[in-house]
Amino acid sequence: MKTSLSETERIEAHLLRLSEPGDKLVFEARLLLEPELRDKMHWQQKTYALVKKYGREELKKEIEAIHQQLFTEQKHISFRQKIIGIFSKE
Amino acid sequence: MTEEKISILTAKDREKLSIDLYKSTFPAVARYISKMGGAFDEAKDIFQDALVIWYEKTVAGDITLKTNEKAYLTGIAKHLWLKKNKDNCRYTPIDEFDAENKGETQVSDGKLLNFLQTAGKKCMDLLRSFYYDQLPLNDIAEKFGFSGVRSATVQKYKCLEKVRETAKERSLTYEDFTV
Repeated sequence: MKTSLSETERIEAHLLRLSEPGDKLVFEARLLLEPELRDKMHWQQKTYALVKKYGREELKKEIEAIHQQLFTEQKHISFRQKIIGIFSKE
Repeated sequence: MTEEKISILTAKDREKLSIDLYKSTFPAVARYISKMGGAFDEAKDIFQDALVIWYEKTVAGDITLKTNEKAYLTGIAKHLWLKKNKDNCRYTPIDEFDAENKGETQVSDGKLLNFLQTAGKKCMDLLRSFYYDQLPLNDIAEKFGFSGVRSATVQKYKCLEKVRETAKERSLTYEDFTV
């Protein structure tokens, strides 16, 4: 497990461009020789994209909940009226 | 220090900031969109996407306490509105707007995410805190109940591996998944 974790760490350093120049060269040479490492790197990159998408979706849910609060709760009535006023002028 | 990063460490911090920004800035955005002939729902979608972009830039440290956040957020919203109208089509959600994601399949990503949300929510939440919310490791350790930074780091890599393997395995079952 330890070995695989440090490999995941090295893939991350490479993808996020955090590697030292020497390590970068070694890693790039390994990529040419090891298809399995290339495959792992591909899916790890996909994972970061998925996490970003997940983060956005969750954040959007939080923002929508706030919107609902602002447009239903009694204490926000003056804010709500201000917005409704903007769209009822036409 | 005016260059200081805006600190958003908890869901409560995020909620409070979003409410403040909604109250201070949504009226200006709504007025602009109404003037340009847009409806309430369009103003809502655009403002919410602008908030997401604002948040991502803030946690990345691109926006500091020095930035006038109301002006900045209004600027993003206007940009999104103009882009929508220039394309002369339905509003493009920010995932497609994001250059990084171009060429990726959206449909199968959705299926995969649904699966991960149910089968690996704890890992997804941990990874979100680290990569998306960019929380410091000691806050992550505290939030998820790890004994310290070291164990949070180990867990983060374990989760990364778990999601990576799941993405690979599941992709073989989704015909429309693009490698």
